[in-house]
Amino acid sequence: MLYRTAGQFKTSYAADHALFPVRQDAWLLGVILLFAFVIFPLTASEFTFKALLTPVLIYSLAALGLNILTGYAGQLSLGTGAFMGVGAYACFKLITIFPEMNVLVAILLSGFFSAAIGVAFGLPSLRIKGFYLAIATLAAQFFLIWLFEKWAWLCNYSSSGSIQVPTVEMFGTPVFGPNALAIVQYYFVLGIVTLITIAAINITRGRIGRMWKAVRDMDIAAELVGINLMKAKLSAFAVSSYVVGVSGALFVFLWRGAAEPIAFDIGLSFRVLFIAIIGGLGSVLGNFLGAILIVALPVILNTLPATFGVPISSAMVEHLNTMIVGALIIAILVIEPHGLARFWQIVREKLIMWPFPH
Amino acid sequence: MKRLRTTFLLPAALAAACMLSAVPAMSQDSVSLPNLSYRTGPFAATGIPLMNGQRDYMMMLNERDGGVNGVKLGYEECETGYSTEKGVECYEKTKATGIVTQPWSTGITLQVLPKSNVDKIPILAPGYGFSPMADGKVFQWAFNPPASYWDGASMILTNISDGNLDNLKGKKIVLLHLDHPYGKEPIPLLEVLAEKHGFTLLPIPVGLKEMQNQSAQWLQIRREKPDFVVMWGWGAMNAGALTEAAKTRFPMDKFVGIWWSGHDGDMKSVGEAGKGYRSISWSVPVSDSPVMQDIKKYVLDPKKTEIGEGEFDWVFYQRGVLISMFTVEAIKAAQEHFNTKVVNAEQLRWGFENLKINDAKLAEIGMTGMIAPFSTSCADHSGHAGGWMLEWDGAKFVKVSDLLQADQGVIAPLVEAEAKKYAEANAPWPINEDCKM
Amino acid sequence: MDFVNSVFVKPFADMVAAPDFFLQVLWEGLVAGVLYALIALGFVLIYKSSRIFNFAQGIMVVFAALTLVGLHEKGVPALLALPLTLFVMYLLAVAVERVVLRPLINQPDMILFMATIGITLFLIGFGEIIFGGENKVMITEALYIPTGSFEFEPFGGFLLIEQKDLTAGIGAGVLVGVLLLFLNKSRIGRAIRALGDDHQAALSVGISLSTIWVIVWFIAGVIALATGIVWGARAGVSFALEVIAYKALPVLMLGGLESVTGAIVGGLAIGILEKLFEIYWGQPLLGGNTETWFAFVLALIVLLFRPQGLFGERIIERV
Repeated sequence: MLYRTAGQFKTSYAADHALFPVRQDAWLLGVILLFAFVIFPLTASEFTFKALLTPVLIYSLAALGLNILTGYAGQLSLGTGAFMGVGAYACFKLITIFPEMNVLVAILLSGFFSAAIGVAFGLPSLRIKGFYLAIATLAAQFFLIWLFEKWAWLCNYSSSGSIQVPTVEMFGTPVFGPNALAIVQYYFVLGIVTLITIAAINITRGRIGRMWKAVRDMDIAAELVGINLMKAKLSAFAVSSYVVGVSGALFVFLWRGAAEPIAFDIGLSFRVLFIAIIGGLGSVLGNFLGAILIVALPVILNTLPATFGVPISSAMVEHLNTMIVGALIIAILVIEPHGLARFWQIVREKLIMWPFPH
Repeated sequence: MKRLRTTFLLPAALAAACMLSAVPAMSQDSVSLPNLSYRTGPFAATGIPLMNGQRDYMMMLNERDGGVNGVKLGYEECETGYSTEKGVECYEKTKATGIVTQPWSTGITLQVLPKSNVDKIPILAPGYGFSPMADGKVFQWAFNPPASYWDGASMILTNISDGNLDNLKGKKIVLLHLDHPYGKEPIPLLEVLAEKHGFTLLPIPVGLKEMQNQSAQWLQIRREKPDFVVMWGWGAMNAGALTEAAKTRFPMDKFVGIWWSGHDGDMKSVGEAGKGYRSISWSVPVSDSPVMQDIKKYVLDPKKTEIGEGEFDWVFYQRGVLISMFTVEAIKAAQEHFNTKVVNAEQLRWGFENLKINDAKLAEIGMTGMIAPFSTSCADHSGHAGGWMLEWDGAKFVKVSDLLQADQGVIAPLVEAEAKKYAEANAPWPINEDCKM
Repeated sequence: MDFVNSVFVKPFADMVAAPDFFLQVLWEGLVAGVLYALIALGFVLIYKSSRIFNFAQGIMVVFAALTLVGLHEKGVPALLALPLTLFVMYLLAVAVERVVLRPLINQPDMILFMATIGITLFLIGFGEIIFGGENKVMITEALYIPTGSFEFEPFGGFLLIEQKDLTAGIGAGVLVGVLLLFLNKSRIGRAIRALGDDHQAALSVGISLSTIWVIVWFIAGVIALATGIVWGARAGVSFALEVIAYKALPVLMLGGLESVTGAIVGGLAIGILEKLFEIYWGQPLLGGNTETWFAFVLALIVLLFRPQGLFGERIIERV
């Protein structure tokens, strides 16, 4: 009913390929953006910003980066955490070496460093495939973490070996550091995430995106139709690592406030991978749905017992939480292996058809 | 619409629910004392007795005296599993009502440290965290009583050199440490001391994934033939190191750990083989002290809480009790000074700055002999209490040394320099200029 | 010149100068290698028969070891606890097959891989509730594993070989032998291999997919228990043990995902090489702790030359 497509005629090829083939999609997106830009900021508490909204956005961005590589170009990577680390360390060095630099510029620049490292570690993908490649990206993961730990220059020789975010202002408002308001940081993150998401949608729908998809579906066939495999794979690594690097910089500078090398450990890589897969590979929307499920749900579950006054220890909640997340991953994979994004697709199809099933 | 409801309204409703839950109704006569506990994760084994001890002391006071001067102690845990990410969540969740933060991991400590100036909530990091936190002028809201890692390192060296660090001239000391901010803490001080007293310092890192497989590290120790091995270990690393040390026949009397490496639970798996291993400690278990007997009587015997078998006598359980004592004494001091019942975070900060733990006080609260006397001030947020060497006799830790004191002559300038460095790196950083020594 | 010397000359001079120490390093590397090989074997078996990259092998090790110790703590004699643990592992295999594998038949590899990570998370939460987070002591004595050690004095030096490491090595050898015999000679073993070659062909000649999967996961459980006992005897049993799963991954890359021989050879090779590198190059030149990445980088380099690993099946691609 709400999704009735009657009366929406497509009269040109371009209209058929538009971003929103159904008008209601655009409205829905408008509502979502309204929530993200106006309603949440007006209603959320500081806890909601810090523990739910900001991390969900940052993780979505990281998953989007990984999804470009894994979902669009078909190269499985387990090194996301380390590439996020590269972005974070690069941003730290940039703002400490050039304190005058605008923070937005610093964040966007730091992605280029992780893109470079990503391309370097992406080179083996020209020869190695599938799980072998996945394990090969683990080499990047473990080597880079070790490097962060050993190379004291990266953290400006701080005695604790970790990076601390100083207070940095943009246009007179503190954006980084302890004095920044949660709402300012939220808007900053939201702005960057929106920007990169729009860019990602355009790239993946364009020529490069189709090249990646061809490589994903079968790389030899893609090569035979004249796609330069090296260009396709390395560009996927570069774009993906750039986005991941930016998300890593946001992760530390707009959310955590400090980070030790171990924060970028393999566990982070897996979390981002979960989000991408549960959300749906090869989908932009999926990253956001996945992040809501993997990042926000445990936080909400944690607060439930206290809300309903269930006398249960905090440790027990954590155990149950781990179990529930594990079970949920299995359940979602069993119910819909293509992730939440596909699930939404099915629901949408049903809505368009409704109330006639055929 | 259906879709809208499931994706947005539900989380929104839940978010609203947790906003509500974050601000529970505060009754007039209780204080909220959150603890970012870690009873799960790779370090759970060390966390559990510490958390149990903290919880049981507060519970005992609530049962026995009805709290502190009529104010109930609302001890609540927020589980982090030692993960820095959960640390953010827990800090944000508890800061609305809590009047103190106990971050536990060095990583979480570093995260909340800058925020403490803004949120105005004192951080209590007893015997851990960032050693320069002892400088109260720079770190106005952070407290690491009764002693910092640098105090610990200094005490260990004093003990192994028989009181005179010059005896270490020409000797080689290995620092076996976790490759993590925590493990790297003592390095700046040890480097200064090595230069001053002419011994060689060799740090050997143990990765978090290598904690249980330290054969490479111990092969290196065998090759280097050090005179002493000092350990900054944590969790599974301690047992792993002790097992390897026993295996490679490293003399146990040359092997000394920091206070977090002296855990009965870790030693259990080593047993007899670890005999002679020592660990510095600012706390000593005294199971027949009045306070411990009261905990037994009011909390454990009525089965209000449960602890593991034998845990009652453990160093870590009783250390947990002492940690809660710091908070309680700070509350008492603040209550008296501000003449109020329910103290707030700012008043508690004053309490932490004015801890006076002397012999009379210890006798009064039934903790004689469990901790060395110390006091804090606005400039000194640590107190720099002394410590004792505890030796593993195959079944438990026993006190084997007199009270050791750290050499403040070396530590104080380093604390000041490092604190200054931190403040500069994080400028603008507020500094309490009113505070004179 | 100094640099060349410290990389190419000094390490070897050190090896020759202290041969007893060199032998000790080799032995320690070998023992670690046996363990890596064991874990990798669990991975390979499951991958061979079902094309599943089973990430849960690490947590299965922890789970098996904790069940054994937990049962013993409850007063079950060790020799009874052992078969009971095996029974628990069997139940786990059945549960995994029913709940996870059967509904996910024919899904892409990635999805199955994710599902095993789901299993891992579930087992971590479940295990912590049941067994608690405390570090537990492996019941070495009760299982009649000798704990003493042999000392030798080759070249006037000193070489120490622990009896439990030796037992572990022999035990692992026997286990692998039995396993190879089982895979190559028994009916079920042949069925497993047939399944590995071609699912549909195997099904069409009457091999039951679900039975074989249960058996394979159970064998992986047995291997997990063996690994758990050996590692547990070295450093206690706790959830921190779970990280050893990562140790098996480079072994798989090096040896090839489908090859039992590859897992064994790769495991031993990585165990020895990473120890040698750490002692003679890593610690003096790179600040130590290189074991976290050395194996991965080594395997990566090998893969560049042989993309299917040393013993993997040749990858033939058709369009």
